Amino acid sequence: MTEKITFSRITKSFAGSFSATKLLSDVDIALHGGKVILLTGENGTGKTTLLRILAGLLKPDFGTVNFGATDEHWKHARKRLLKNVMYLHQRPYMFEGSVSRNMALAVPGSMSRKQTRERVNQALEWGMLTRHALANAKTLSGGQQQRVALARAWLRQSPIMLLDEPIANMDTQSSARTIKLLHQLKHANTAILICSHNYQIFDSLVDRHVELANYQLTEAQSIKADNRVPR
Amino acid sequence: MDALNLLFSRDVELWEIIGISFRVSCTAILSASPFALGIAFILAYFNFIGRRLLISIFSTLLAFPAVVVGLVVYILLSSQGPLGDWRLLFSQTAMIIAQIILCLPILISLSHAAFQANDHHAWETARTLGIPGFRAFLIIIYEVKFGLLAAFLAGFGRIIAEVGASMMVGGNILHYTRNIPTAIALETSKGNFSQGIALGIVLLLLAFILNILLQYFQGRGKSSP
Repeated sequence: MTEKITFSRITKSFAGSFSATKLLSDVDIALHGGKVILLTGENGTGKTTLLRILAGLLKPDFGTVNFGATDEHWKHARKRLLKNVMYLHQRPYMFEGSVSRNMALAVPGSMSRKQTRERVNQALEWGMLTRHALANAKTLSGGQQQRVALARAWLRQSPIMLLDEPIANMDTQSSARTIKLLHQLKHANTAILICSHNYQIFDSLVDRHVELANYQLTEAQSIKADNRVPR
Repeated sequence: MDALNLLFSRDVELWEIIGISFRVSCTAILSASPFALGIAFILAYFNFIGRRLLISIFSTLLAFPAVVVGLVVYILLSSQGPLGDWRLLFSQTAMIIAQIILCLPILISLSHAAFQANDHHAWETARTLGIPGFRAFLIIIYEVKFGLLAAFLAGFGRIIAEVGASMMVGGNILHYTRNIPTAIALETSKGNFSQGIALGIVLLLLAFILNILLQYFQGRGKSSP
């Protein structure tokens, strides 16, 4: 499992009709196993863009990635990012079919049917979803779908997880369940980056709080100083 | 009545014509589909220079007249043409080539629309789940299966009933390249309406079944959340 992954000088602008709109400029961020970073920022500052770049889903104009040895250009590290980083959309996408099928898709294709079934059952239990195993995943509530997505991530054993507004539009009970699962992932040494407007709710979970403003990341003031992780 | 008698009297010639039609058109659509799916997928999920232009070109090709496709393939395959050495003119292979060209734009455009209508998060989710590219592609195909089936049926409907290209590059040779539309054209010009009507009934019936299936799959595609 990757203990630390460092992204440096991430720069991204989007081409407009007449000029380019700058979103990120020389952003540096390091993710550590078992540590949670909270990312906040106003709407339109590029939080989702940054998360998608870190996940290997969106090509930056420039940026390097270091998995612990040497700096690699993002383009060359992309495959490794896709393999190691899991990105959870604000409204997770549910594939056609049952919750079990959605889980099974996260199991590596090399596993036997029996192994897959066992792993899926474990994930259903972990995500408190056993009684929904056969339900159509697309008909679940937002909170339940978020738990399916987290259970898929747990199944995949991604060393790094990026969550985009994981508890948006969720009731208190669902948020509490999601946070409980995130605590378990953190204890399993997963590096977690959460992008959210609601930072108080993640207080018990978060080790570092950064804010994206004026194209760059800065340390936010809300987090306990003794709990910070090195950058 | 003569037409119905022909259909139910196991007229070998008539059923042979129907058989050739289905063999040629099924081969054409099955050969074109994987290629069309790949292009439609790339156009829907990847951003590259010229993408919009390509989409416009394929949309324009939807209106490409069958007889012009026939003319182009004829020129290419004729003995003086660049592919004349292949000696394919007036063969079923030539008809298949022409029909592939005819159904590709409709397959690509409708498959592209089906991929576009699906949530783009599907592809990202599959990739971020660590699913390898080709398996992720198959998963997305399963997600939009109804839209893709509708594209497949529309493409098949386009080529099974076309007359211009088959006539030009197939040559309407009995027992070999005579299919339903070219046979109808020939029998009508000869004044033999009963065989023309019998084959027309087959085509109409097929069009009816295809349309029912099309409506069904398009409805299923839209109703899935």
